[in-house]
Amino acid sequence: MLPKGGEVDLQGQQTAYEAARYRIMSTSSTSAAPRPDMEGWSYFARHAEEAGIDSILISFSRYEPDPLLVSCALGLVTTKLKFIAAYRSGLAQPTTFVQQVNTVSGLIGGRVSINIVAGSSKEEQYGYGDFLAHDERYARAEEFLAVCHSFWSAESEVNFEGKYYRVEHGKLATPFLAPDRTAPEIYISGHSEASARLACAQGSCWLRVIDTPEKLEPHVARARACGIAVCLRLAIMCRPTRDEAYSAVEALLPEDKRESTIALKDDSQMYREKVTGDDFWLNRSLWTGLAPHYGPVWTTLLGSPEELAEAFLAYKAIGVSEFIISGWPEVDEMIRFGREVIPLVREAERRQAKIAFP
Amino acid sequence: MLPKGGEIAMKTAQETSRVLTTKAKSPAALPDLKGWTQFARCAEDAGIESVLLSFSRYEPDTMFVACAVGRVTTKLKFIVAYRLGLMQPATFVQQVNTLSGLIQGRVALNVVAGSSALEQRGYGDFLEHDERYARADEFLEICHSFWKRNGAVDFEGKYWRVERGKLLTPFQAPDRIMPEVYVSGHSEQAKALALARGSCWLRLIDTPEKLAPMVKSFRDRGVEVCLRLCVICRPSRAEAIEAARSLLPDEEISRQERSILAGSDSHTLKQALAAADEVGWLNKHLWAGLVPHYGSSAMTLLGSPEELAEIFLDYKRIGVTQFIIAGWPKLDEMLIFGREVMPRVRAAERKHR
Repeated sequence: MLPKGGEVDLQGQQTAYEAARYRIMSTSSTSAAPRPDMEGWSYFARHAEEAGIDSILISFSRYEPDPLLVSCALGLVTTKLKFIAAYRSGLAQPTTFVQQVNTVSGLIGGRVSINIVAGSSKEEQYGYGDFLAHDERYARAEEFLAVCHSFWSAESEVNFEGKYYRVEHGKLATPFLAPDRTAPEIYISGHSEASARLACAQGSCWLRVIDTPEKLEPHVARARACGIAVCLRLAIMCRPTRDEAYSAVEALLPEDKRESTIALKDDSQMYREKVTGDDFWLNRSLWTGLAPHYGPVWTTLLGSPEELAEAFLAYKAIGVSEFIISGWPEVDEMIRFGREVIPLVREAERRQAKIAFP
Repeated sequence: MLPKGGEIAMKTAQETSRVLTTKAKSPAALPDLKGWTQFARCAEDAGIESVLLSFSRYEPDTMFVACAVGRVTTKLKFIVAYRLGLMQPATFVQQVNTLSGLIQGRVALNVVAGSSALEQRGYGDFLEHDERYARADEFLEICHSFWKRNGAVDFEGKYWRVERGKLLTPFQAPDRIMPEVYVSGHSEQAKALALARGSCWLRLIDTPEKLAPMVKSFRDRGVEVCLRLCVICRPSRAEAIEAARSLLPDEEISRQERSILAGSDSHTLKQALAAADEVGWLNKHLWAGLVPHYGSSAMTLLGSPEELAEIFLDYKRIGVTQFIIAGWPKLDEMLIFGREVMPRVRAAERKHR
């Protein structure tokens, strides 16, 4: 997850608490987060490449810069990293959107994927000029992506007549340019039935918040059965021991226990599902104590490097193939993850491969 | 004017004059960061302030090209052409503002209401010419409300509706809180839109006599005028004419191009084609002969460096403040212009001061 503008502290003096507070305050009008921060982002992106991270998610909201343009600028200062640009379908004509995505692909060696979000809060959508209700937004997103896919697979002109979009003799000369693909990967996020259906119909990957492997297993199986991958969003806290990780994550709780930023996303099923509950432990390493205050994507996997490696392998075993991870500060936790956890996971994968093919 | 993709690598004027973006496999469809970077750095060296990036379904998206080229330059400004109506105004403002923050505010907008009905339909836009202008007017009104940052944006019009709109990323530039808006077009609707919502009216060059009253009426209302033209500068007028004539295509290509142009519903193009058919030469130095083959922006000013410098000063005298210039090849002609014409114009300006 790309940090917000101004969030990366180039001096490395920032505490986890400060980083988390910066993120929480990033929607306030006094925050520097809405301003593009090429210095901080380039620093983060280069460390991501060194840490062995494949992709980073760039989020979309009215509180931050446009993720496609940020992908373009960051793609020019990196060579391997891929950018998953979040986008709200319905705010641009699909033809225009495809022209933009294709242009970015040609400028940065095809290192762009799309995370389609049907919407977040009614209030925010209204401010963008979008007045459809939750379920209709999914119906529209389905048409939107159908038109996009027609352009990406087009041998000839695109013609489409739906409820929300109409295109006649559509033609774009600029193709999606990547070494190995003719269209970007499409991540569809959400917890509603509508989002899962959309992911199966038009996506390449279903993106959702982490839960226990047991709970996720049937959902993952269903997604895999329709040929798409599953990616989990989570935060991690890796410390030498589980106890240390727990005290570190507990220290991120707001001083005012009534604080909640969740009202910002009233129209999201993901947010409705996860904000209440008394027992914050989903299992021994999955803690949701921050979610009631900051939202479900703050659900935290915590423990020692060994415990975390074990946990990631358990998700791999049920068929999850991708993870979008946050940490506090993002750079520090990512470097730690690259140094402590990834090598253990890769080592275990090699051992398993040997067992499978002795 | 930024060259098309692949154009910089082409060697001859004839070749570049035929970078037909309309061909099935044109290099113009592909981003050409290497060529563009070379052109942009030369433009900075030549003393050019801005480059125009054109928008069509045959080319990469202008906003992203401006982002990429802006990241490798330091002074040059990008006039990004965009068709209004293909995205929500809030989304558009968010992109423009983001771009401004990434390239130190070096972005201006050239808003075009549309080009051909056929192309617009491929973008999902089924409005007719006049309605497109009405929609563009609403669109720009909303954009301006976002840029002024006086609280949440509320708007309810015929084409757009926004409720409590808010964007936290501001337009960032050393000297402006919103981009300059160039409105192009020769129709009455285009002129009205430029006066109501633009900072500059962008139109094709014509003779100073014809333009003078129009320029005055815009300047009187606080809107600048920018002319689009091509330049062919050679040691003598005769050599310039010879160079221009060598760009005339053979008949087959000419027929193809003419049929593409015939599908347009642009008033600008219709007027320019009429000029080409009727007179050819608008005055001793302004030739419409290439317009039927290369489109309206191929109206060409030609002559020696001294003659051209004099002519640019004539336009300045009637109140024109900006020019968007193309040539064949663009890079070579820009270098000639920067070396031969600009110093003469600047010297004359210093003398008059």
